[in-house]
Amino acid sequence: MRSVIHAITAVGLLVVVSLGRLASQTAPAYATGAATVSLLLLATSHLLLVREISRREHTERALHDANRELESFSYSVSHDLRAPLRSIDGFSQALVEDVGEQLPPDARSHLDRIRHATRRMGTLIDDLMALSKVARAEMTRERVDLSEVAEQVVAELRRQQPARQIAVTIAPGLQATADAPLVRLALQNLIENAWKFTSRRDGSAIEIGQTRAGAGAPAFFVRDNGAGFDPDYAHKLFGPFQRLHAVSEFPGTGIGLATVQRIVHRHGGRVWAEGQINSGACFYFTLG
Amino acid sequence: MHEILLVEDNPDDVELTMRAFRKSNIVNEIVVARDGVEALDYLFSMGTRAGRPPTLPQVVLLDLKMPRVDGLHVLERIRAHPRTKLLPVVILTSSIEEQDLLNTYSRGANSYIRKPVDFQEFVEAVRQLGLYWLLLNQPPPAPAPA
Repeated sequence: MRSVIHAITAVGLLVVVSLGRLASQTAPAYATGAATVSLLLLATSHLLLVREISRREHTERALHDANRELESFSYSVSHDLRAPLRSIDGFSQALVEDVGEQLPPDARSHLDRIRHATRRMGTLIDDLMALSKVARAEMTRERVDLSEVAEQVVAELRRQQPARQIAVTIAPGLQATADAPLVRLALQNLIENAWKFTSRRDGSAIEIGQTRAGAGAPAFFVRDNGAGFDPDYAHKLFGPFQRLHAVSEFPGTGIGLATVQRIVHRHGGRVWAEGQINSGACFYFTLG
Repeated sequence: MHEILLVEDNPDDVELTMRAFRKSNIVNEIVVARDGVEALDYLFSMGTRAGRPPTLPQVVLLDLKMPRVDGLHVLERIRAHPRTKLLPVVILTSSIEEQDLLNTYSRGANSYIRKPVDFQEFVEAVRQLGLYWLLLNQPPPAPAPA
C-alpha cells in the first residue's frame, strides 16, 4: 500500500515539475512560485497519507495481537481453571467415601455443598467458553429454513423429555439469510427457554413465527405462556449470568439469552422481549 | 498384563486418576510420567530410563499441556517411531478446544477424553476407558525386537 502511495506521489511530482518547466518558458516568476506551492502541497499530503497508513497498520496489528491474547486467555480459562475444580471435587468426594461414616451430618452437608458449588462453577466455565466461541466463530451467511431448524430443536426436546405435554406451533416457511450453526444455536436457546419456563404450568404452549413490526425487517419470534418476567427488569435479560428466577425454580446459568444476543448482534440484528410475570414471554429477533 | 502409561504433570490429577482406577478394579500397573520428557524416556528406554527392557504399555493416557515437552510432541514422536507407531494413545485432558481435537486426531490419537469436573463422572469415564482399552480392544501385534 505504502509503495503505491510513493509511486503516485512520484508521478505527481513529475507532472508538477514538467508543467512548471513548460510554464517557466512563458511567465518564469509566476510559474516558479506556483510550482513551489504545488510541490509543498504534494509533499505535505504525501507525508499525511503515509502517517495515516502507519497509524492504521499499527491499529490492525494491535487488534490482531488482542485477538490472539483473547484466544490464549480463553484456552487458559477452559484448561487451567478446570484443573483445580477437579481437585476440589475429587478430594471432597474422596473424603465422603473414606471417612463419610465418621463425619457429623453437618460436615457431610458441607462437603456436599462444596461439591455442588464446584460442579456449578464447572458449568459456568463451560458456558462462558461457549459464549466466547460464539463471538469468535467465523460467519458464513446462507439461506436457512428456520421452520425446519425449529422442528428439529423441538423434536430433540420431545425426545429428551417425552413426558412433557406442550402444544408447539411453528409457522411454515420461515426463511433467513444467516450463519446456519449460529442461528440454530440462537433458536435452540430461545426454544429451550420457552420449554423450561413453561414447565410449571398446565396447558403449556409455544409458538414460533414471524411478524412484520412496522416498516423494518421482519422479526422472528418465540412466544410461550410460561413464567414470564417482570418487564421492569427486561433490560437485564440479555446480560451474561443474569437470571430473573431462582435456580431452584428454573435451573440454568443465565448464559442462554446472552448467547442469543451476541449471535443476533453479529448478524447486525436486534433482539428484544415482551412479558409479564406468570403470563408468558415473547422474544423477538431480526437478523439484519 | 501390560502396564498403563499415565502422562500427567498435575499431582492431584495423578492421585485422582489412580483412585479412579482402583475404584474401577483396574489392577494393571500404572506408570506415571510427569511430563513429555519422562514419557519419551520411558517409551524409548533412554535418559533416566536407559536400560529398561523395551516393552510397551497397553495404552498411553496422555495429557496435552505439560512442562518441557507437551503431549502433542509426545504423540508425534510415538507415531514417528516404527516400534511405537501403533501404540494406542488416549488423550486425557481438560480442553475441548477444537484446535486440540484437530491437532491430536490428525497426528493419530486413538481417542480423546475430556476430564469431567465431577469426580463421579471421572471415575465412570476411567472405568469405561479401562474396560475398553484393557479388555475389549485387541491391541496391535507386538513390534519385532529392534
